[in-house]
Amino acid sequence: MTRRAGGERPWRVRLRDPVTGLLFVLPMLVLFVVFRFLPLAGSVGMSFTDYRINGSWDPVGLDNYQRLLSDPVFLDSLQVTLIYAAIYVPLTVGVALGTALLLNTVVFATGLFRGVLFLPYVTSFVLAGVIWRWVYEFDGLINGLLAKVGFEPIGFLQESSLVLPSLAVVAAWRGFGYSMLILIAGLKSIPDSFLEAARVDGASTWQRFRFVVLPHLRPVLFFVLVIETIAAFQVFDTIYVMTGGGPVRASYSLVYALFDQGFEFFDFGYAATIGIALFVIILVISLIQRKLLDRETT
Amino acid sequence: MTGRRTRGQGALIALLAVISLLTVAPFLVMLVLALSPPGVQSIPDQLPDELTTDNITGVLSSHGMVRWTLNSAIYSVVSVVVILITATMAGYAFAKKRFPGRDALLWSFLATLMVPFQALLIPTFVLVSELDGVNTFWGLIVPTLANSQAVFLMRQFIRELPDELFDAAKVDGASEWWVFWRLVLPLTKPILATLGVFVFLWHWNDFLWPLVIAQSDKMRTLTVGLATLHGQNVTTAELMAAATVSVVPCLVVFWLLQRYLVNSITMSGLKG
Repeated sequence: MTRRAGGERPWRVRLRDPVTGLLFVLPMLVLFVVFRFLPLAGSVGMSFTDYRINGSWDPVGLDNYQRLLSDPVFLDSLQVTLIYAAIYVPLTVGVALGTALLLNTVVFATGLFRGVLFLPYVTSFVLAGVIWRWVYEFDGLINGLLAKVGFEPIGFLQESSLVLPSLAVVAAWRGFGYSMLILIAGLKSIPDSFLEAARVDGASTWQRFRFVVLPHLRPVLFFVLVIETIAAFQVFDTIYVMTGGGPVRASYSLVYALFDQGFEFFDFGYAATIGIALFVIILVISLIQRKLLDRETT
Repeated sequence: MTGRRTRGQGALIALLAVISLLTVAPFLVMLVLALSPPGVQSIPDQLPDELTTDNITGVLSSHGMVRWTLNSAIYSVVSVVVILITATMAGYAFAKKRFPGRDALLWSFLATLMVPFQALLIPTFVLVSELDGVNTFWGLIVPTLANSQAVFLMRQFIRELPDELFDAAKVDGASEWWVFWRLVLPLTKPILATLGVFVFLWHWNDFLWPLVIAQSDKMRTLTVGLATLHGQNVTTAELMAAATVSVVPCLVVFWLLQRYLVNSITMSGLKG
């Protein structure tokens, strides 16, 4: 970075800056202090209390955290979220990478295809949930088609073993277009001469992908993995619309647990503690993935 | 070599076409169901013989759909306008002004990116309800305006504008306020359009915050309304009609600004 942030300017103009600079930041600063920094402090504070819906509270020390570590509801939600992420992330990144490679190779109507594949991303998870719930229903699209060829109906959202993959497919459908665009940008930055040289040397398509494309794409791929993993840990909307956390608690995710404890059981202190846990988990994932990336690139 | 490439193209295009069709299929299913006459079981058995807009006019005249759409529009449009102005102001100050604590402030804004909103849900709800903001527009809108991505994006863009532009105006005696409205905002128009689209979509599609803070039937946004419609006594056709109505603004925004949107993601890494 050669340019100094403030740049060079006549000193008499600069004199007025301290006040005007602060004044221009002030509206956003107030918003951040009141609705980001204060709630963050509040979240930590509330996790040491038994804050109730009527606003009364007593300090309870580490009780909420102890409860967290022994509460099957929380621990199960952690497991559900981990399994969901283990399905959602490879699925989404895989589809995004596949379509990005296709769009990067095909030379016909690329803009149209790209637009169509990106389309679900501009809609809401609620909409995706509403449509796909019907697609999965016993008299819905997939089971209707299965019945035509003589198969028994499948309980996509009713079977404990199927509910998380089914939910992951919905979120992947809604979200892969964004990662696809990022990966396309990454692919475009690979110099054509590299691929051409590999081709001249007789490298197969797979070898070109493995030894030229993939190493160049690694940082972008890591970025995509990080944002999709974080997205997976925040899954809520589709669950609320499609399963309500069920069957039993087979799709009861971390954020669903937070919402449920807060707004069904009104146990605000405990819900805030789940929020802290979510924050720490996402922070740790980002840091681990960053460390891995640093090691890869140095 | 080129011959081999073009020969492979046909198969790849076919594959891409199949994937694209699968991607739009859920939307087509939604649309056909929404336009099927009431009581007709169409997909997957058959396509309906005739199409009707009865379901769409039906849901629009009941279930508070118009009200929810209006609420979503107010939530999204007010947020877009306020975020664009305040983020540009902050971005301008961070990019072109010197004031004590500037860098620390910028980094503390950016650090909030690491905190998922869900982790702040409970205390933010308590705060807004203490201020009697439950089921009000300000309670719905104001907590969502602290947007660090917007500030950072504007700061990056404004940094690239030449200092001489602003200095020249000030030497000519222009006020800071004039510089902001007459120079900064017009110069940032391209990036404002992109950011505006994103902020609109984030708010139009937002669910968890409206769900907890706008609980009354009158204050519901479209996403919350759609989700609650689900449990009620509505037919699949009516539900899909409501879904169709909810997605129209997103599609309009998307088609109007597709180029902006797609290009900017690849440049800036904005995340919804």
